[in-house]
Amino acid sequence: MANVRRISQVVFILIFLFLLVQTQYQGRDEIGYPVRLFLDLDPLFVGLLLLSTFSLKPILLLSLITVVVSLVLGRFFCGWFCPFGTLHNAARELVRRPRKLEHGLYARAQVWKYAVLVAVVVSGLFSMSVLGVMDPLSLTVRSISLGIGPSLELIVRNAFDGLYVHAPAWVTAVSEPVYGVLKDYVLAFSQPHFLQGAFLGLIFVGLLALNVTKSRFWCRYVCPLGALLAVLSKPAALRLGTTGQCDRCGKCVRSCPTGASPALGDGWRKAECIYCWNCVEACPTRALSFGFARPQSKDGRIDLSRRNFVWSLGAGLAAVPLMRIAPSLMRPNPRLIRPPGARPEEEFLKRCVKCSECMRVCITNGLQPTLMEAGVEGMWSPMLVPRIGYCEYSCTLCEQVCPTGAIERLDLATKRKTVIGLAFIDKNRCLPHAMSVNCAVCQEQCPTPKKAIVFKETKARDANGSEFTLLLPYVVTELCIGCGICENKCPVVDQPAIYVTNLNESRSPSRALLLAPKSTS
Amino acid sequence: MDRSDRTSGMDRRRFLKVATAAAAGVAFAGVNPLSALSADKQAAAKQAAAAQAPLVFVVTRGGTPYKNYAAALKALGGISKFVTRGDVVVVKPNIGWDRTPAQAATTDPTLVAAVVGSCYQAGAKKVKVFDYPCNDPRRTYVRSGIAEAAKNAGAEVSFMDERKYKRVDMKGTVLKTWPVYSEALDCDRIINVPIAKQHGSSRLTMSLKNWMGVIGDPRGRLHQDFDHSLADLGHFFKPSLTVLDATRILTANGPQGGDTKDVRTLNTLVVGTDQVAIDSYGTSFFGMKGTQLGYLVQAAREGVGQVDLSKVRYSVIDVA
Repeated sequence: MANVRRISQVVFILIFLFLLVQTQYQGRDEIGYPVRLFLDLDPLFVGLLLLSTFSLKPILLLSLITVVVSLVLGRFFCGWFCPFGTLHNAARELVRRPRKLEHGLYARAQVWKYAVLVAVVVSGLFSMSVLGVMDPLSLTVRSISLGIGPSLELIVRNAFDGLYVHAPAWVTAVSEPVYGVLKDYVLAFSQPHFLQGAFLGLIFVGLLALNVTKSRFWCRYVCPLGALLAVLSKPAALRLGTTGQCDRCGKCVRSCPTGASPALGDGWRKAECIYCWNCVEACPTRALSFGFARPQSKDGRIDLSRRNFVWSLGAGLAAVPLMRIAPSLMRPNPRLIRPPGARPEEEFLKRCVKCSECMRVCITNGLQPTLMEAGVEGMWSPMLVPRIGYCEYSCTLCEQVCPTGAIERLDLATKRKTVIGLAFIDKNRCLPHAMSVNCAVCQEQCPTPKKAIVFKETKARDANGSEFTLLLPYVVTELCIGCGICENKCPVVDQPAIYVTNLNESRSPSRALLLAPKSTS
Repeated sequence: MDRSDRTSGMDRRRFLKVATAAAAGVAFAGVNPLSALSADKQAAAKQAAAAQAPLVFVVTRGGTPYKNYAAALKALGGISKFVTRGDVVVVKPNIGWDRTPAQAATTDPTLVAAVVGSCYQAGAKKVKVFDYPCNDPRRTYVRSGIAEAAKNAGAEVSFMDERKYKRVDMKGTVLKTWPVYSEALDCDRIINVPIAKQHGSSRLTMSLKNWMGVIGDPRGRLHQDFDHSLADLGHFFKPSLTVLDATRILTANGPQGGDTKDVRTLNTLVVGTDQVAIDSYGTSFFGMKGTQLGYLVQAAREGVGQVDLSKVRYSVIDVA
C-alpha cells in the first residue's frame, strides 16, 4: 500500500507541476486548464472567504472533496495528495538519516499547529493575509512560481545557451531541438524575474531542510491546513489496528514520519497520522493493519489546552490591528499599482492569499510581489511594476487565475477601461521637454484607441542652431488607464521620464484626480 | 562614413536595370554615342528609354489582397523575377501590435499568406516569417492572424530569439553598429510586407519604418531622428520586393489604433522594387505627398530610391 501511496504522490505532484507550467499564456485569451485546482481544493480558503466576506465562489466548493475525504478517511490529503508533503518526503529521502525512535512518537510540541490554525482562522475573519503566508498550498505555489522555478529555469537556459554559443555543431544539432521542446512545453516564454525571488526560494528550501531535524517538520508542527484536516478527521472511521502478534520492536514507530505513535507510546493518534502505510509495511510480524471501525475518541485526541487555545486566539486577534497600524491604507504607496479587477484595497487584502498565481501568469512579468508597499498585511500581494512589465491591454489572465476573487473577473471591454493608475511626465528628464530632442516612444506605445498621450507641436533649435519641429508629449488624464507601457518602453532607461502612480485608479473613487473629467466618447 | 562605398553597392538586378537603360540610351542615341546630339533628340531618347524601363511599382486595387497581389505580380513579370529556385526567403510583415486585422495595425494575414505562397511557387526552399513586436509576441502573432495564415501557407513562423541578434556595421549616418536579426541577414531574399498607417512622430509608417522589426534594441532611440535613421535602414536592407498593404489603412491614433472608426478600407496594394517610391505613393492614401515626409526626402537624397513619382514608371491596375 505504501507504494500505491507513493504513486499517488508522484502523480499528484506531476499534475501540480504541470498545472503550474500551464499557468501562462498558451495562445488563447482564456487559460485552458484548471490551473489553480490545488488552491481550489483548499478548504481553508473557502471557509475563511465565507466567514470574512460572507461570499462564496462556487469553484471553491471543490474543497468540499477535501473535507469529505478527511471526515471519512482522516488526513489522507496530507499523505497522498499535498504537493508540499510530497516534497517533504523527497527532501527526507535526500537526507537519509536513520530515524530515531522518539521521532515516531507523539511530542507535545505537535500541538503548535493547532495554535497556528486558531490564529489563522481568527485573523482570517478580518484578513486572509496570515493564512496566505502560512497555507501550505499557497506557500508551495508562491515559492515555486517566484523563486525555485525561475532559478531552475535560469540554469536550464544558461546551459542550453552556453552550448549554443560554445559547443560544436553536432552538439547543438541535438541540444537545440531539445531546448525547443522545453521552450514550447515547459519553460516560460522568457526568463521570469521576480523581486524577492531568492528570499521566497530560501524560505521554502529552509522549510524543507527542517526535515534534517525531524521528518515532515512542517506537517507536524506548523501546517494550519494539516491541523484543520486533523480536526475534521475526528469522525473518520479508518483506524490503525494492532493484533496480539506485536512484540513492541518499535520498527513501526521508527518508520512513522509524523509522530503518530503507531503502536508504542500512548497509542496511535489519528490526528497525526497521514495514512502513509509505512508502519504497516515496517512491521515484521504483520501485527498492524488499517481497517474501518467505529472511531474511538482516544484516537482523535488533540491536546490543545484551553490556555493555549486562548493564547492563539489572542494572537490571531492581535495580528490584525498590528498589521493595520501601517498607514498604507490611509496614504497608499503611490507605486502600489494593483492589477485591473483588483477590489478596493481593504476588500482586496481581505481576500488575497498571496498565492502568486497572478504573478506567475502575468504575460509581461510586470506583476511582482510587494514587500512593504502594501503594509505587512499586503506582503507578497501583487503589484504592477511597469519598469519590469506593463499591463497588456487585451489580457485578462490574472483575473482568471485568482482563487479567491481578490482580483475580480472582468469582461475584456470593462478591463480595458479600468484605470489602475495615471502616467506622469517628468519634464526634467523627458527628451523633448528637457533636451529638445524628439522622441515620442510613449505616444506610439499608448494602447488606448484614442491616445492618452498627445503632442503639442513647437519649434526648437538643435545644437547647430537650425530650427526644427519638436513634439512635446502630454498625458490626457481622462484617457490614461495607467497600464504603464509608456514607462516600460521609455528610452530614458534608468529612471524613466514617464512613470505611473496609482492615483486616479477606478477602484478608489476618493482618489480621483479631476473635479470634472471631460467626456471622451 | 564612406558614402561612395554605399552608393556603389550594386546588386544584380540594379545592374541589369542600369545596363538596360544604358543600352537603350546607346541604341537611341545612334551609332556613335559620343557624337553631338541636339537637345531635342536627347529628350526624345530619354523619354523612349523611360517607356522601355521596367515598372518600378504597380498599384492594384479593388480586389482581395490575394487577387491584388496576383495581379501586381503579373504586371511586374511574375514572382520568378524576385525569387529563384532554392532561395531561403524572409517575408517581413508588420506583426507589431496586439490587434485584429480589422483594426489595421498589422499586415493583412491573407496577404502574408499570398506572399509566402508565391515564394514557394517560385521554388523557394524555405520561407521564414517573423517580427519583433512592441506588444507581447505571443499575443501579436495570434491576434494579427498572421502566424496561423503564414503557417498554413507553409512558412516557418518563429518568435525572435535573443541569441540571434548580430551586431553589424550598418554604415549609416546615425545607425553605426547595431544589433540586426541574423535570420534577416542570412537569407537569399527578403520581402517587406508593411501596412500603411498614421504614426505620431514620423507621420506615416510604411516600408522603411517596417525594418525596425528586424533590428534589436535600443530601437526606441530611432525616434530621435527618423529622417536619418529610416534612410539608413533603407540603405541597409535591400528587399527583392516590397508589398505595401493598403487593404485597410489606419488614419489616426496610429501606429496601434484600436478604433475601427480610424480605419479606411482601400483594398489596395503597392507592389514593387523601390521602397522610397512605394512609400511616396503610399502617402497619397493619406492625402499627402512623398516630399512631405522628411525621411523619404532624406532617403531619396541618399540614393535609396526615388521620392519624385514623376521620375519613375509605375502603373495603376483596377482588379475586378
